[in-house]
Amino acid sequence: MDIHLSNNAQDVPFSFIVEELIAGNIEKSPAKYAVYKKMKGVAAIDLPDIEAAVTLIFGQGKLTIEAGIVQNPAIIINTSADLVTDLNLLNIRWGLPYYFDEAGRRVLAHIFTGRLKIKGMFLHTVLLTRLTIIMSVM
Amino acid sequence: MTGYKGFTQEWMDAWKEKIAGSKEYKEIAKDWEGSVSITVNADPSKNVPEPVYMFTDYWHGDVRDFFICDAAKAQEAKFIMTGDYARWKQVAKKELDATKALMQGKLKLRGDLTYIVRNVKTINKVIDLLTEVNTIFPDEG
Repeated sequence: MDIHLSNNAQDVPFSFIVEELIAGNIEKSPAKYAVYKKMKGVAAIDLPDIEAAVTLIFGQGKLTIEAGIVQNPAIIINTSADLVTDLNLLNIRWGLPYYFDEAGRRVLAHIFTGRLKIKGMFLHTVLLTRLTIIMSVM
Repeated sequence: MTGYKGFTQEWMDAWKEKIAGSKEYKEIAKDWEGSVSITVNADPSKNVPEPVYMFTDYWHGDVRDFFICDAAKAQEAKFIMTGDYARWKQVAKKELDATKALMQGKLKLRGDLTYIVRNVKTINKVIDLLTEVNTIFPDEG
């Protein structure tokens, strides 16, 4: 596992949360680690309510976390700090995020009501699915 | 309504009573196992001359130990939460969401973050019940 926080990211406390969550998840789950090793691309999480944004640059077994939104991410998740944890609670079934239980329906409701916006959701489904898997604590 | 001096044993007892009496908590926390210590950093300007260490323990919807402790005991907890007095006061007054505070680095957590996120409802409920305790804060009493 090679997760690196850039110097700038070390000034953003949310970076450490993301790092710890991903590291904890892939350490505990060989399946999630396998997904992590395949990931290539750039995704960002933007939480305007706490003025925190991080960009995750995946390079097949390597992850660099940068502060802010950089490198034109394929995926940008924009929501509030209290809702972003709902993404972490998505269950993974048959290797995919599951949207047909309470946790899944809650995330869908956030999307439909605009409280959770995901740029690139339809264009970069593989990256988004993989990101969801490695971020899920379930 | 009785007021309790914040961050004292009597205040912790009142908080514990709220948790123990909550059916909703019992249901939400049915999977939770383990202790959480809370460290309130000293702030002499706010009448908190020394750090306050609190040890709380929860087990599958039950509340166990709840007491003021020393630094060594606080370190034994499964999860250790630390923050400045002003931050904890904001949390206790429902002015600051604990999850947001963690993301902003206003509160620090040591322990398995994935477990905390998986059980975030439990944490939120415990804090909700804390906000129901009529607290007399050290810098207000």
